[in-house]
Amino acid sequence: MSALDVTADSGAPASGGAPVSAPPPAISVRHLWHRYGSLDVLRDVSFDVAHGEIFGFIGPNGAGKTTTIRAMATLLEPTAGSVHIDGYDAALDPDEVRKIIGYMPDHAGVYERITVREFLEFFADAYRIPELGVVDAVIELTELAKLSDRLVATLSKGMKQRLQIARTLLHDPKVLVLDEPASDLDPRARIEVRDLLLELRELGKTIFLSSHILTELSDVCTSVGILERGQLVVAGPIGEIAERLAAERGRREPAAPVPPDLAAPLMPPLPAAAEGGAPNFAPEAPPAAVVTPGGAPIPQATRKRLKLRVLGDSQAIVPMLEGGSGVLGVEPGPGGSLSLYYVGGDQYVAEVVRYLVTSGVGLVSVEPERNELERIFLEVTRGDLT
Amino acid sequence: MSAQTGIASIPPPPPSVRGFSRAKVGFARLLADPNPVWMRELKAAARLQRTPVVLAVTTGMMTLLVCSVGGIAAIDAEPAKVGVWLYHTFFSLAFALVAWMGPAMAATGIAAERSGGTWEALELTGLGAPAIARGKFLGALTYVTLYLVMLAPVGALPFLFGGVTALEVVLAFVVLGGVAILSVTFGLAVSSKFSSPALAILVTLLCSIPTSIAAYVGLGVGLSFVANGLWHGVAAGPPVWLPTAYSRAEFGVEYLTLLVLVPLALVALPAWLFHEITVANMAAPSDDRSTRLRIWTLVAAPFMTATCVTCGVAQKDAGWFIAGVVALMATYLFLGFLFAGEPLAPSRRVEARWTRERAGAGRRFLGPGVMRACTLLLLLIVGSFAALLGAAALTLRVASERDGVLALGGYAAAFLVFLAGFAAWTRARSRSSGVPKVLLLGALFLAVVGPWIAMAIAGIFESTERALLIAAPSPLYAFHLRKVIASGGPDADVAALAGSIAAAAWLVIGFGLFALASARIEQRLAAERAVRANLEGSSGQG
Ligand SMILES: Nc1ncnc2c1ncn2[C@@H]1O[C@H](COP(=O)(O)OP(=O)(O)OP(=O)(O)O)[C@@H](O)[C@H]1O
Ligand SMILES: [Mg+2]
Repeated sequence: MSALDVTADSGAPASGGAPVSAPPPAISVRHLWHRYGSLDVLRDVSFDVAHGEIFGFIGPNGAGKTTTIRAMATLLEPTAGSVHIDGYDAALDPDEVRKIIGYMPDHAGVYERITVREFLEFFADAYRIPELGVVDAVIELTELAKLSDRLVATLSKGMKQRLQIARTLLHDPKVLVLDEPASDLDPRARIEVRDLLLELRELGKTIFLSSHILTELSDVCTSVGILERGQLVVAGPIGEIAERLAAERGRREPAAPVPPDLAAPLMPPLPAAAEGGAPNFAPEAPPAAVVTPGGAPIPQATRKRLKLRVLGDSQAIVPMLEGGSGVLGVEPGPGGSLSLYYVGGDQYVAEVVRYLVTSGVGLVSVEPERNELERIFLEVTRGDLT
Repeated sequence: MSAQTGIASIPPPPPSVRGFSRAKVGFARLLADPNPVWMRELKAAARLQRTPVVLAVTTGMMTLLVCSVGGIAAIDAEPAKVGVWLYHTFFSLAFALVAWMGPAMAATGIAAERSGGTWEALELTGLGAPAIARGKFLGALTYVTLYLVMLAPVGALPFLFGGVTALEVVLAFVVLGGVAILSVTFGLAVSSKFSSPALAILVTLLCSIPTSIAAYVGLGVGLSFVANGLWHGVAAGPPVWLPTAYSRAEFGVEYLTLLVLVPLALVALPAWLFHEITVANMAAPSDDRSTRLRIWTLVAAPFMTATCVTCGVAQKDAGWFIAGVVALMATYLFLGFLFAGEPLAPSRRVEARWTRERAGAGRRFLGPGVMRACTLLLLLIVGSFAALLGAAALTLRVASERDGVLALGGYAAAFLVFLAGFAAWTRARSRSSGVPKVLLLGALFLAVVGPWIAMAIAGIFESTERALLIAAPSPLYAFHLRKVIASGGPDADVAALAGSIAAAAWLVIGFGLFALASARIEQRLAAERAVRANLEGSSGQG
């Protein structure tokens, strides 16, 4: 399998500790190998995480996520290769790295016989944080105020997880490294964790999180890395990977040329409709097919689905949409719902909405399907995953 | 500052503040910044609902026991006798309590962090293994002290009856404090090695119960007779003699050395060692786990040597020098086992730190690496035995006795050199750090026992005297050699020759293994470097 590495020039090792002109990336992993006995658990893993990103590290059980993370957290000296956090080498300069990162191990434990506040106060002291107000600030940020006098032993799993995240924030780390932060959490707790992560990103933190469940926190990630049997299959910003994959696919399938209007599938096929106000979306527009004129199927990756809900019967608006430019199919559902398969970007969606509204359709909701990551995942892993 | 106690931090004093005021500020800062681990342990312990129950039950049982002993003793004895009885009963029980409960209490400390999944979070705080170990130590010691404080009123009963003074009761509690320090540090050292608290407690108790009973009988009952010989005020027989000796012995050089220095060293050196073992076990494999233990060695080995030399010189007696040789052998055997688990060489992390901090050759020499460790061991062995045998040569007047001691010491030193070389060699060849210790134990056993078995077999065919020569490679032969030389028998020359050959062989093998180990380690390190370079270089093709 060819590793598709979208990180910039993985050959140049990050310079340790001495930033030149450009600031070093928040996390830089270079040629990471790790062996347990004769078993290669990590094989030449390289990627970068830029500042301010939420990086999702995805892979099945036993792929080597925790091993990579432990190398990042200075807890494991890799057999070869290096991890730099903000320019500091995690293996060689652990003290500096420990100041920068907040690490939450998977299945981390807690001290049970103290209260939530005492737990945080203990870690504040252990981190030698000079201000007394830090614990209050973190409690407020993580919304633990109501629980602050509860014994840790009496907390639920989700609450404990939140407490763990709170602990990692005490020393105001630049980079958060969270190993499976949402495992064992119910949907509600998972949403809470997700919202917290988004809030932390607003505060300028770089967040690295691992998961073996694809959809777990995928909608918060700005970048992903997919690890499979110790090898990095793909890494980079989600949009960039999607584009790369499309380009790759184009190169791989030259026999079935993609028609001109689908050549750049991520671009909206509708020209700037704003100019005349005339709906481009007229039924008389040339019909688009799910297969190209040459008979080649349109790749799954370029096909998108928009979930609509309208007042009344959705069957009635099917003819309005069918045959529109970029429309690949319309599927009416019960209760006024409707799925629109299309090719295009956000602008295209806006155009569809405007067309429907100006046509007098009672539009109740529009929901683009977020399945980009899933598509990427399925494409790059080729079912090798269990 | 301490968020746990809510005390704001005190800024460090400016350099203009000196002397006593500086020390005062330093102390205030220490108070304002108590060990976080200790504070947390105290808070958790305070929440434990069974603590007061256990305390009350222990105190109640202790009171009952002491009272019943008092009652039985009081049937036909005057009050002063009853007081003495109560005193020994109470403090014997208190000794058992401290010596068994202290280690068990401490044993959960670090193992529980590991099994509870809090260890990594704690490790990453940057608090450092020494501070964590101190916190755990203070926590367990506080707990043990709590018991002692609860028991104090019961302990005060004896002096109400007479026969012992209030001061002697107080001193007994001080001695118990020393025992508590030792037992808690021992428990922590065991705890640091395990990740299951139950297992840690089990191992601790398996060690501490026999040790404490042996100490009670040997150092308590046994030494009371020696103490009685030195100071007649101290009774011979009853085990709790040390506190009474402090108030009854005449002050002098013997008081200072035997009652102050030796007990202090007996508590301080092992406690320090246990602490360093704890710290080393807590550190990550790529951290420096060696330097602090090496510094302990650099203090303990010369101290041991000085003690042996002093005793020999002061008593001017071959017996004392022989005891010195035995003590040094035991010390270096222990150190050999301590160093056999060293890493092959300092990790890249340690090397990087040395470069960053511009570490000198001395600091690097004390760092991780089995060759450095065994080199230090060789140097110390040579130094110690040279000092002890030199002192023996100068002090012992009877030539045969002197030669006997020299032969014994020389043989012992040669055998220790072999063991050091063997430790280095096995470590150089094995992957893990546990295997060399097992092999070392095996080699030791074989070398000690093997030649005697060979001798026993040979004895069937040969005369006993000649068969004995076959046992020459066993270090136990050295004792036989000394006896033969000291008695100046007709076989002395032959025995001396056999002994010399055996000792020389041990020396040669030891140094040979040492050289082999050195080459082997270089080879392995080069291979490791090559693998790393290869993996890091083979990028892009993956
Ligand atoms: N201490 C160890 N000794 C030997 N092998 C190990 C050790 N730790 C991990 N492994 C092996 O390394 C591989 C990767 O483990 P790792 O924990 O990194 O996977 P992971 O991606 O985190 O999996 P999961 O999703 O289950 O957490 C596994 O095959 C595991 O068996
Ligand atoms: Mg894992």
